[in-house]
Amino acid sequence: MISSLATLESQIQAEDLHDAASVEAFRIKYLGRKNGLLTDLFSQIGKIAPEERKAYGAAVNTLKQLVEARLTAAQAFVEAAQKQAVAQAIDLTLPGRMQPVGGLHPIRQTMEEIKRIFLSFGFGVAEGPEIEEDWYNFSALNFPPDHPARDMQDTFFVEAPNNENGGVVLRTHTSPVQVRTMQNTQPPIRIIAPGRVYRNETITYKSYCLFHQVEGLYVDEQVTFADLKQVLRMFAEAAFGVGVKMRFRPSFFPFTEPSAEVDIWWQNEDGSGRWLEILGCGMVDPNVLENCGIDSEKYTGYAFGMGVERIAMLRHGITDIRVLYENDLRFLEQF
Amino acid sequence: MNISHNWLKDYISHDLTPQEVADTLTMLGLEEEESWTVGNTFPGLIVGHVLAREQHPNADKLSVCHVDLDGSGKGIKIVCGAPNVAAGQKVVVATIGTKLMLPTEKHNPDAPKTEITIKKGKIRGEESNGMICSAMELGLSEDHSGIMVLAETAVTGQTFADYLDQQGTSESDTVTDVNITPNRPDAISHLGIARDLSAVTGISVQIPAVDLPEHGGEAAHKFSVEIECPDVCHRYVGILVEGVKIGPSPKWMQQRLEAIGLRPRNNIVDVTNYVMYECGQPLHAFDFDQLAGHKIVVRQTQGPLPFTTLDSKPRILPKGTIMICDSEREVAIGGIMGGENSEVTDTTVNVLLESAWFNPTAIRKAAKNIREADKEEGRLSTDASYRFERGVDPNGQVWAAARAAALIAEFSGGQVVPGMVDANPIHDSSLVLTLRPTRARAVIGADISDEEMRRLLTAIGFEVAESPEGLVCSVPTFRPDVEREIDVIEEIARLYGYDNIPLPTHSATPNQPPAPNPTDDLRRSLLQFGTSMGFREMYTNSMVKAERAQFFAGETGIVETLNPISSEMGALRPNLLLSALPIVAHNLNHGRKSLRLMEVSSVYRRSESMRVPVKGYYEYEEALFIMTGTVNAAGWNVREEKVTIFDAKGVVESLLRRFGLVQHVQLIPENEPSALTSYQIKIQSGHQILGVVARLSDETAKHFDVKQEVFFASLNWTVLSKLIGIKTRRAYQEISRYPIVERDLAVTVSKNEAAGALLETIRRTGGKLLQEVRVFDLYEGDNIAPDTKSIAFSLRLGASDRTLVDKEVETLVARVVKQLADRHRAVLRA
Repeated sequence: MISSLATLESQIQAEDLHDAASVEAFRIKYLGRKNGLLTDLFSQIGKIAPEERKAYGAAVNTLKQLVEARLTAAQAFVEAAQKQAVAQAIDLTLPGRMQPVGGLHPIRQTMEEIKRIFLSFGFGVAEGPEIEEDWYNFSALNFPPDHPARDMQDTFFVEAPNNENGGVVLRTHTSPVQVRTMQNTQPPIRIIAPGRVYRNETITYKSYCLFHQVEGLYVDEQVTFADLKQVLRMFAEAAFGVGVKMRFRPSFFPFTEPSAEVDIWWQNEDGSGRWLEILGCGMVDPNVLENCGIDSEKYTGYAFGMGVERIAMLRHGITDIRVLYENDLRFLEQF
Repeated sequence: MNISHNWLKDYISHDLTPQEVADTLTMLGLEEEESWTVGNTFPGLIVGHVLAREQHPNADKLSVCHVDLDGSGKGIKIVCGAPNVAAGQKVVVATIGTKLMLPTEKHNPDAPKTEITIKKGKIRGEESNGMICSAMELGLSEDHSGIMVLAETAVTGQTFADYLDQQGTSESDTVTDVNITPNRPDAISHLGIARDLSAVTGISVQIPAVDLPEHGGEAAHKFSVEIECPDVCHRYVGILVEGVKIGPSPKWMQQRLEAIGLRPRNNIVDVTNYVMYECGQPLHAFDFDQLAGHKIVVRQTQGPLPFTTLDSKPRILPKGTIMICDSEREVAIGGIMGGENSEVTDTTVNVLLESAWFNPTAIRKAAKNIREADKEEGRLSTDASYRFERGVDPNGQVWAAARAAALIAEFSGGQVVPGMVDANPIHDSSLVLTLRPTRARAVIGADISDEEMRRLLTAIGFEVAESPEGLVCSVPTFRPDVEREIDVIEEIARLYGYDNIPLPTHSATPNQPPAPNPTDDLRRSLLQFGTSMGFREMYTNSMVKAERAQFFAGETGIVETLNPISSEMGALRPNLLLSALPIVAHNLNHGRKSLRLMEVSSVYRRSESMRVPVKGYYEYEEALFIMTGTVNAAGWNVREEKVTIFDAKGVVESLLRRFGLVQHVQLIPENEPSALTSYQIKIQSGHQILGVVARLSDETAKHFDVKQEVFFASLNWTVLSKLIGIKTRRAYQEISRYPIVERDLAVTVSKNEAAGALLETIRRTGGKLLQEVRVFDLYEGDNIAPDTKSIAFSLRLGASDRTLVDKEVETLVARVVKQLADRHRAVLRA
């Protein structure tokens, strides 16, 4: 009897369990409720001599455990094989289901980058109208009427000057926002004024009839030209990299004195380089402060302004400003 | 203004390179725009030293020379045919590859010239590595008797151009275009530039010596000057030169004028131009014999006046133009241009030189409004008006006139009539300002000593004295821009050097937070929303054609500019759609079939409202979303679907949800076609119109060369963002812990019933328990009666304080069904 059990054991060991069907046949063959070989052996336990019963039971149980162990292992194998079959059946090289991809215009991206830098320095954002009174755009900013300084900015006029006021223009810079802010607030004032401005210039690869500016203004006690240099150096390093080479050279704007233009050294890949102007700045002219109702003896201030397109073009190597306003998707999708 | 570096050296003897000069000027605020060389730089020509000369073995008239070209003491062989070549000479060698213009006939300088390139070769069997040149071969003279022998001081190996430079006979020059800012009238001349250069280099300025005449003398007997408008003409100096012979000016003067871009004319006009570019004072030369009564009268025009300028153009001058007249007629426009009737001609014998001071504003007003007789508008800007507009030195007239008179006399054989007429009704003396050094340090933020300030100011012609109040500065009259203390502070900062102002080691920030700007924050969220919905942002031109603007603006007035670049850009856009459609067309024409574009920018209208920053104009920010083509590109698992109005509407609905405005905004259909749209949905909050969702009309699309359906949503973002600020609560609402019950129901209704009306009924009936209702199916066709449609709704029901019981749900759904039946004759489908 025991020896036949030994034969059975080797028989169990030898069963070929390679797929779900053979595993199920194996289970039925040995553990099937009706004619399972082990089921039968268990049912015969009563016929075994009492003294041998214990050994017999133990031997059959061992066989059962063997069958169950083989079943578990085979089921795991078959399941894994099935999972693998599923995984292999799917062609993962087929393209995915895409959603339309949106994006912001490079002017916006650059403008937001500039804003982000100054916001991190503690500047607030102020905005104002593009159709502006001459007074805000010019007179308050110390542009005398009939002064050559007005020729520096070719102006679009909306309303000719009359006896009551100096006329209405499309703002040539966002400086009128500074004026409006200073009129409504007492120092300390620390703002940037981003926005669209207009110049009546022939449209070419380097000039467009409109562009965008970000201007900054800080008015407080004890603000110095050295502070201006400081904030612009921090800006240049944030925007163009730490250690960027820059220079301040004297210039002229009616609304600042002393005035400066700032150049950064632009290194080409071949090692050559050149100075490129990135912004204008200066100490707010005392006349401007007084025009806005601020005591120019008590307070000083600095102001600066930069063209967003110019910086965007620099950053992305764009050589024709008009491409920014063409909005060709093949262009927009690059950003 | 163009400056010649050779010319500049007349006044300041520096040893800087032109680039160093240009860089120094740039850092003084006289920015170099561009520099270039003019004249002959003799490329390839080197100073050689003839170490030895031997007779050519095969030719009597030729020599074989050993010439050192680099100072090494080693010679290379050059065959030379000149009789005067000898060992020890310094000569000009054209090296291999040099191009020379040589006469086609040897030894005949008048023969036509042709370009030849010097090559290495053998001459009669002897190797030759270049050519030793004669002055004729270099184009310097007609001397072809032998080679050009240079001075002993010539340095072997230096370029011939450097040698000429060293000898002061340079044939080349560097010209720099200096950008002169409007506040620097003193720098619109070579002397003015030299003065600034002197201030930072410490090298003194050499002003040419001129004998200054006294007022009166013989000159005063020959002519008179009368100023009727002293307010605009403070000074008028006249000097007379008699017996001139008109001819060309000397070559050196012509070269300098040509270098800076002026065309030489004759020995009178060239001198007036030369002196203007020398010292900044514009001059005018009259043919004295054309001046009736030998009298000059300065007066302003009383009304528009026709006048022919010396360029033979008839022009109309505006009222207030300063005129120079003789006893009978106008002979010149003061400070702008002379008249044809009195200009210097080839037959002129006696010349009256005018050197005057005119009021900048008067000159600018006139120059801006002088037009040619056959044109509607115009301006007349000249070198003279450019300087007068900015302000010339009111004390520089006599020097300039005397300098010019002396040069004219020298070049033309004339005689300067002794004395002069100096009409000077208003005397401009130096302005005296007090500078507080502490204030200067406070503005600049650098510790510049009083003494340093004094030194810097003195270097540019200020006279400085100390007083208890500060430094008392006497401003030179050539600096009319310096009127206030701050102007003096700027001069100090400029000369001290902006780059020398140290950066603060720390920076203070104001002890208040920056003012919040919700508009800016919300705009950023809006753009983020648009991007996430797959829209590409555009930046478009806000200037559009006026007729189109009016069409797109409908009833409201558009804003036009008085001086547009072209009629295509005569008005400001009343909405973004008008700017966007050409972009849509452009992209469709370049191979795109589907587009999703957005823009957030300002649009402009006329307005009667008083609540606008600039009276008469309403300017607001619009958000535009525009879609055409398909919603998605067809793929192996994606069916292509065309964009419909519901995609555009969906964008708006998503936006309202994103910003929490669903409860506050109504979408109101308008099924009437208009010129602009086929149909549209108005977006409103109460009575306030916030925007529109629409299909563009085919006619309008065609107008822009767009041949496919275009849908758009436009929103008044200025109003909408305010509404968001006011209406949306951001307080947390507790999330319900009780389950949601879903119920679907399908009804058939007449085709005329609007789905929106049914939804509204369901919402009202559902009350608080109805959390959401969606339309999940719409069907027309077989299996249902004609003229009807089937709409299926999905309802989500739930309460925030309990689990709904079945009975509650059944009652509610039954009520909804009844209401749909009563109000819309809807029949529940089995």
